[in-house]
Amino acid sequence: MKKLNLILLSVGAVFALTGCNDGPTGEKITYAKSAQEVYDQSCKKCHGANGEGNTEKKAPALNDRQAGELELDLYDVKNGGTNQSSGTDHDIMEHNMKKLIDKGYDYDPKAMALYIEKSFFKMPSPEDTEEETPATEEAPATTETPTTEEANATR
Amino acid sequence: MNKKQMKEGIELIDAHFKGEGISRRDAMKLFGTSGAAALLATGATTTPVQASEAKGKIVIVGGGLAGMSTAARFTNSLDNPDITVIEPADMATSYQPGQTLVGAGIWEGSAVDYKTADFVPSGVTLIKEKAVEFDPDKNTVTTASGKKIGYDYLVVAAGLKLDFGKIEGLGITETITTRGDDKAVRKVVGKNGISSIYFANGAIDTWANMQQFVDKAKSGKKVKGIFTHPNTPIKCGGAPKKIMYLTDARLREAGARDNAELMFYPNGSKMFGVSEYHNAIQRQFEARDMKWNYRHNLVAVDTEKKVATFNKHWKQKGAWDEDLEEYGIEMKNEKVEVPFDFLHITPPMKAAEEIGSSPIGSSKGWVPVNKETLQHVKYKNVFALGDIAAVPMGKTGGSARKQYKVVVDNVIAMMEGKSELPSKYAGYTVCPLITSIGTVMLAEFNWTKKPTPSFPLDPTQERWIWWLLKVYALKPMTQYGMLSGRA
Ligand SMILES: Cc1cc2nc3c(=O)[nH]c(=O)nc-3n(C[C@H](O)[C@H](O)[C@H](O)COP(=O)(O)OP(=O)(O)OC[C@H]3O[C@@H](n4cnc5c(N)ncnc54)[C@H](O)[C@@H]3O)c2cc1C
Ligand code: HEC
Repeated sequence: MKKLNLILLSVGAVFALTGCNDGPTGEKITYAKSAQEVYDQSCKKCHGANGEGNTEKKAPALNDRQAGELELDLYDVKNGGTNQSSGTDHDIMEHNMKKLIDKGYDYDPKAMALYIEKSFFKMPSPEDTEEETPATEEAPATTETPTTEEANATR
Repeated sequence: MNKKQMKEGIELIDAHFKGEGISRRDAMKLFGTSGAAALLATGATTTPVQASEAKGKIVIVGGGLAGMSTAARFTNSLDNPDITVIEPADMATSYQPGQTLVGAGIWEGSAVDYKTADFVPSGVTLIKEKAVEFDPDKNTVTTASGKKIGYDYLVVAAGLKLDFGKIEGLGITETITTRGDDKAVRKVVGKNGISSIYFANGAIDTWANMQQFVDKAKSGKKVKGIFTHPNTPIKCGGAPKKIMYLTDARLREAGARDNAELMFYPNGSKMFGVSEYHNAIQRQFEARDMKWNYRHNLVAVDTEKKVATFNKHWKQKGAWDEDLEEYGIEMKNEKVEVPFDFLHITPPMKAAEEIGSSPIGSSKGWVPVNKETLQHVKYKNVFALGDIAAVPMGKTGGSARKQYKVVVDNVIAMMEGKSELPSKYAGYTVCPLITSIGTVMLAEFNWTKKPTPSFPLDPTQERWIWWLLKVYALKPMTQYGMLSGRA
């Protein structure tokens, strides 16, 4: 039993000390087109000139959420869902995305999210939010989280 | 246990410490050697050296694993902490990962029970209520009894709710938490072979059902066990499979495996988002004659007849789409009925209604935060972590263990008036995938979707030492290391 304890202690110690390896954060990917170019040349056709969506194409609006949230959706679409076996509600867009990447319309999710927010974001109208807080007017200007330094870079 | 495995374990550990530039002996001294619990309790590897003098009122909503660990770390890190935790449950700090072991009869139910009151750090105010209203423009939270609480910084760590109500035929309309009042669910889930380890009492009932199932197979009857995985993000994405592996192990132990068919029905079309682990799991399933059927989402259960109904969905080539300059795809679906003797349900999950649909929630229900800094996308003095945060791939205790340090660092930086948030979460998650009684595959990964092993070992192998880690070491590490804000 003594030996077993020793192993246990050691394994635990290793895990507590050095476990949770942050690991590599991925190679730097460079993209052929900027987020704006990709949006104008492709996304726009289905999601609208102002990100307002297109009912005929069944493409939802992208101008109703802020960059942080949109980045998560873009991440989801590009990665086929983010949970082990849950799948995704984005089978169609996932298919589209694969084809678009083949055609050179790849992009950095963070840069795309920031571009869409900066260019198109609209606070949902009061009847959607049930709260009429006037303070929200300034939101678009103040909300973007990181600066654009990473715009065309990494991950 | 066998000598060879023991030797492998020791050698591995020695090699590891050698790589770190210290001997195993010194490492052990560093920790003290009086038992795993004490060891890990003193494993103060990341306690901040210098306490901060920054001031500010911090309110934490949810005092489960993530919330209480955050409270403890703030307490350790601040000279003048002013911390309030809002948590209604008596057993919020219980050890949920152990429920998988309870469900397979490896642990007693009581082995995972830990009282909230025993883990409240000294100096922290606990309000034993639910937070029901959020006004982030005025920096206030209101509790169920109507108490309005102001804050300078709000940390949301309210976990998630189990939504059995989405499954027709169970007659359940309420959502429940893993450690809260489960009456609404337990009256159905736990009976007739219908099981779920996702709530604590459900895990106890799962073991009772599993024993009946094994006995039936042993008596010579042909039986069928089915295991579901829903179309929502879930906590511990591996648990739906772990309980299946353990059912397989119990059947083998009884010599009755040949009489049982075991089938996994996930909504998705993968075993794992990381391809190395996906492949390894498929191989392990094949080796055990465990079957799977992708793209099936459980939508209804006939509890009397013991029939589960799935929505089977698939993609089909669609019309030419000129905007895509390619053929599009069309989605097809049909209902499929499957009879069962044993059904393990992993229910759909979502954020608590009072939070998901509040101003700090989002259309998807989770609390949207910058996935690296964990700061709310709209409200800068609001942070979220743990299962409720809309962070890709998270929702494990292992990811919360990385996140709570990030939140504490970043809030303190804000309190100190720094303009940059210094700490970033990189998406680390760990899933100790139990593959039999005695083996575990330690799947560690992050947003690069590559394995990120902490040990210099092939991470796709099932190993006995990870079983030891899972069954003996992780609980004390969590209960005494993490919940005290240290490790
Ligand atoms: C069966 C099972 C197996 C698992 N296996 C593993 C594993 O192997 N490895 C691993 O790392 N993780 C595992 N997990 C996941 C792990 O337990 C969770 O990820 C972890 O508990 C998340 O911590 P949390 O604080 O976010 O949520 P919880 O620990 O669930 O705490 C949330 C708390 O918030 C409270 N709350 C909810 N709403 C409100 C409100 N409105 N106001 C105030 N308080 C509120 C709840 O009462 C609850 O106590 C498993 C979980 C289960 C169920
Ligand atoms: C051919 C039409 C088409 C093009 C081109 C297209 N999309 Fe889509 N997109 C859709 C449809 C249809 C959906 C909804 C169905 C789905 O999500 O699978 C969708 C969904 C999405 C979603 C999920 C929205 C949500 O509410 O969750 C995002 C994000 C998205 N698209 C981003 C983009 C971006 C970025 C581009 C450009 C690179 C793009 N789309 C180009 C058709 C298109």
